[in-house]
Amino acid sequence: MRPWLWLSVAAGSLAGIATVAQLGLMAWLVHEVLVQGIGVGDLAWVVVALMVAITVRALAQSLQGISGSRAAQQVCQGVRRSLLQQWAQQGPVKLAGESSAVLASEWVEQVDALEGYYARFQPQLWLACLIPLLILVLVFSLDWLAALFLLAAAPLIPLFMALVGMGAERLNQQHFAAVSRLAGHFLDRVRGLTTLQLFGGTPDAIQQVADASDEYRRLNMRTLRVAFLSSAVLEFFASVAIAVVAIYVGFGLLGYIDFGPATELTLFSGLFILLLAPEFFQPLRTLSQHYHDRAAALGAADHLLQRLAPEVTQELGKQALPAPPTALQAKDTVSVSDLAVSYPGRGVVVSQVNFTLPQGHCLVLTGPSGSGKSSILHALAGFIPATNGQVSLFGEAPGVQPLAWMNQRPFLVQGTWADNLRLAAPDATHGEMIRAVHQAGLKAVLAHQPQGLETPLGEGGRGLSGGQAHRLALARVFLSSLPLVLLDEPTQGLDAYTRQEVIAALKTLSGAGITLIMATHQQELLAMADQHLQLPSRGVANV
Amino acid sequence: MSELRPWLRLMLTRRNRLLIGALLMAATLLAGVGLLSLSGWFITATAVTSLAWAAGAAATLDVYVPGGGIRFFALTRTVARYGERLYNHDTVLRLLADLRVSAFRSLSQLDGQTQSRYQASQWLNRLTRDIDTLDNLYLRLLAPPLVALLGVGLVAVFMALFFPGAAWPVAILLLVVLLLLTLGMACWGRALSDRQVVQTDHLRVRAVEQLQGLAELQAWQVLPEHQRGLLALEHNQSRDRRRLEERGALGQGLAVGGVQGAVALTLVLTLEAYQQGLISGPVMVMLPLAVMALAEGFTALPGAFVHWGSSEAAARRLNEQQALTGRLPVAPESQSVVSLAAMEWQGVTVLLGTTPVFRGLNLTLGPEEKLAVVGPSGAGKSTLAALAARLIDPDQGQVCWGGASLTTLDEAQWRRQVAVLTQDAHLFNDTLAANLRLAAPMASDGELWAVLEKVNLKQQVLGFAQGLNTPIGEFGRQLSGGEARRVALARLFLRDPVLVILDEPLTGLDPATAAIVRHHLNDFLQRRGALLLAHDPEALPAADRTLVLSSQGKLAPFHR
Repeated sequence: MRPWLWLSVAAGSLAGIATVAQLGLMAWLVHEVLVQGIGVGDLAWVVVALMVAITVRALAQSLQGISGSRAAQQVCQGVRRSLLQQWAQQGPVKLAGESSAVLASEWVEQVDALEGYYARFQPQLWLACLIPLLILVLVFSLDWLAALFLLAAAPLIPLFMALVGMGAERLNQQHFAAVSRLAGHFLDRVRGLTTLQLFGGTPDAIQQVADASDEYRRLNMRTLRVAFLSSAVLEFFASVAIAVVAIYVGFGLLGYIDFGPATELTLFSGLFILLLAPEFFQPLRTLSQHYHDRAAALGAADHLLQRLAPEVTQELGKQALPAPPTALQAKDTVSVSDLAVSYPGRGVVVSQVNFTLPQGHCLVLTGPSGSGKSSILHALAGFIPATNGQVSLFGEAPGVQPLAWMNQRPFLVQGTWADNLRLAAPDATHGEMIRAVHQAGLKAVLAHQPQGLETPLGEGGRGLSGGQAHRLALARVFLSSLPLVLLDEPTQGLDAYTRQEVIAALKTLSGAGITLIMATHQQELLAMADQHLQLPSRGVANV
Repeated sequence: MSELRPWLRLMLTRRNRLLIGALLMAATLLAGVGLLSLSGWFITATAVTSLAWAAGAAATLDVYVPGGGIRFFALTRTVARYGERLYNHDTVLRLLADLRVSAFRSLSQLDGQTQSRYQASQWLNRLTRDIDTLDNLYLRLLAPPLVALLGVGLVAVFMALFFPGAAWPVAILLLVVLLLLTLGMACWGRALSDRQVVQTDHLRVRAVEQLQGLAELQAWQVLPEHQRGLLALEHNQSRDRRRLEERGALGQGLAVGGVQGAVALTLVLTLEAYQQGLISGPVMVMLPLAVMALAEGFTALPGAFVHWGSSEAAARRLNEQQALTGRLPVAPESQSVVSLAAMEWQGVTVLLGTTPVFRGLNLTLGPEEKLAVVGPSGAGKSTLAALAARLIDPDQGQVCWGGASLTTLDEAQWRRQVAVLTQDAHLFNDTLAANLRLAAPMASDGELWAVLEKVNLKQQVLGFAQGLNTPIGEFGRQLSGGEARRVALARLFLRDPVLVILDEPLTGLDPATAAIVRHHLNDFLQRRGALLLAHDPEALPAADRTLVLSSQGKLAPFHR
């Protein structure tokens, strides 16, 4: 990103130099024709140089924008990549407390908000320092008194802008709660439309939407009245500088000012200074136009940095952990001895878990909520490290070999049946997929799909009932032919009919020689168990 | 362009504000033109005068009028700029209010089925963003080109007053540049900016999927591939975004080159005219500087117009939403609602897309009968309720109350006679009292406390520092799930309907509370008809009759 950012600054500087050259050449042309009386025909080279300067200015201006947007794209992609890694590193257990919609909108919108900052604000920040400096030096060499006018205005501008900005921010903080509530008002009423209709409340609600929008406008205008002062300040200085320079140069040329460099003013130097005066303020005015880019980006960056920060602590934490439990040797069993799991802040959730489960058997974990059923599954899947004890999955430590995972909400993506099946087994053939769908008990449902496996599922698996969605996720397990399946409350939230459908599919899975470990508090699933582990409300577990 | 027409019409209701705002913008631009050109004239005039003095001629120059003019323009520009920004942002916020009210009104007329299809959060997200895009239409796309056009016209007229020979070529050059920066940029960026919203939505959906499936993907060890897929998608989106920015930057270059080219052209033409004695020296300098000051009106155009496609797409989506056909027809002559009557579903067929939820369903709910219907989720219980509440009309057959089809009854009056508790009853981001008073705007605090007691919530609310005036947050998030459900139930007790429809009224309540609520519901339902829906008869108040709705949409008597 750095090279592009510098290229953007360099191009912007070149545009600034070309602008100065253009203005100088114009003043020179006027001076030669008017004062020296030289014919335009003899000044053709100046006209050509003028056209070259304008062309360079236009091209450099484009290059500034193009390289700025390249820099921004690189930054955004880098942040997105880090965030994805961060999600993977945190794992499903730590992210469980976060809303995935919020995280996703961070990943999409908040990162987009960084774009304007890197594409426009940062290069412009440099240009707002470099170009006025260049112009100041130039004006100083032409007429130091005129340069003093500009110099006097320059430090006042940031001062005034800071004062105005502080005022706006204070106002903003005062109204922040009200403004954000009003901003959400419309959305809240749309979400509740059915409820409003049922209570006959829509006419009132339309009026409320109008009132809230008006209140929102009123509060916003209060802040804007102050915030727009900053652009007025800049406008004021830019206008006054032109006026002051014009009157100073005019009076100087007339000989009314007889001190300092004023006596040496010519039409060339006078006109050149006049044309440079607005350009002196232009980079600052552009910067203030991009100021909202900065505000948006800072808000987003704050958020994103917080999100990315745990990466560091996590890595440190990892080094501090004891070596992972050594794997036992048995290749045909899942064995757990003296397992303990703890979370920072919650302490030990479950401890002294022991079991040995032969391949193809089914273990059911039961216990009241909070007894650590899910934590054991998380440790077996390798989502969280075990605090103590040993876990061997067919002779390997957790997280080494792939395994199948299912929880109460089946994971389905937007796409076709085939897209969803291939998630676990990207190379599966059509025949294999059909067989898996049949094994999961979806033969009749598939027969009704107009395009077979290529039929798209609706958003969030719509078009399938709850039980069908569960069984489609199970079909994926059949397809992946992984030897171990971990299930967390697989039938939670399903009604009795649907529950039976899913249990039937699970029995087929178990019958196919696949090892199942599931956490549940439903009695119906216990009938499947070869082993049953009853967890007390907190503490020791026995088979 | 035609997509934007209805929205332009909506904006035109505020045509005076739009006009004043545009005039303020024009005043700012023209004050800038006046300031720079008069300053150039003044400097040159003083130089010419001092040259004349040096040559011994007796020339005079009034320095006070131009000096005053320069100060006037400087001040006008500052004041006009501040006023313009303030006034126009006020206008934009008013337009936002108009757009929201208009969108809300048209949404509120949709039937329940169409609405629920559009309630997905992704769609809502897009709706608000589309409205935000359109409220900027005036300030970004409508006013600036018109103001630039006005500026070009006035400067051309001004030039023609002194030297018509330069006015034509310069005006034509500037108009071509203006056309390229507006229409040209709009065409060039149209396809890219049109698909930005869709691409971004797609990206968000995929990101949500990855987050929701993190456990599965990690367990299967396919997360890296999935991440690569997501990044590839992101690459396409951000590449298109960058391309748009690049085109905007090239447009920026064109704006600079075009306007400064016009300045150089004016200068060359006026220099020649001066040498031919057609114009004076000061005018020779004044005219190019007037053109130069127009640059300010051109710089924002390419960046705004390259995103034209996204405004068009936003308008198109909002038009589609406004044109949705799922509206309930209004009866020409509405009958009044009789209070004690039976409800009949007669040969009712409801289609969800093309698949029927019911086909020829017949069902009668006697006067003051309590009818329970149980069945698996997705069998159509909620559709049964929506039909009775007239949130939807059947595709075939009819639903009657007291022998009159619901479609012939006065809708507002019917809604007053039916109380419905849906599974997803919404709590608004407001106070507890405001949420309760939705059911009975005139209810006293005492009445509110009484209904809270019926749902076993009085003790908790007494514990809240602000009592009834406690804000309950978005979706009632400040309350627990069970508490939120009980607030929705309490709302019901505030009403006095002839028919009550309850969808899973006791699900999610702890046994003790469920017992209390069941007791009060039994009381409440005594002299009313009731349709009680649940997955299990255990989760319902006492019923006179219980039916089972199978997943094929067929009704049968319930046997334990």
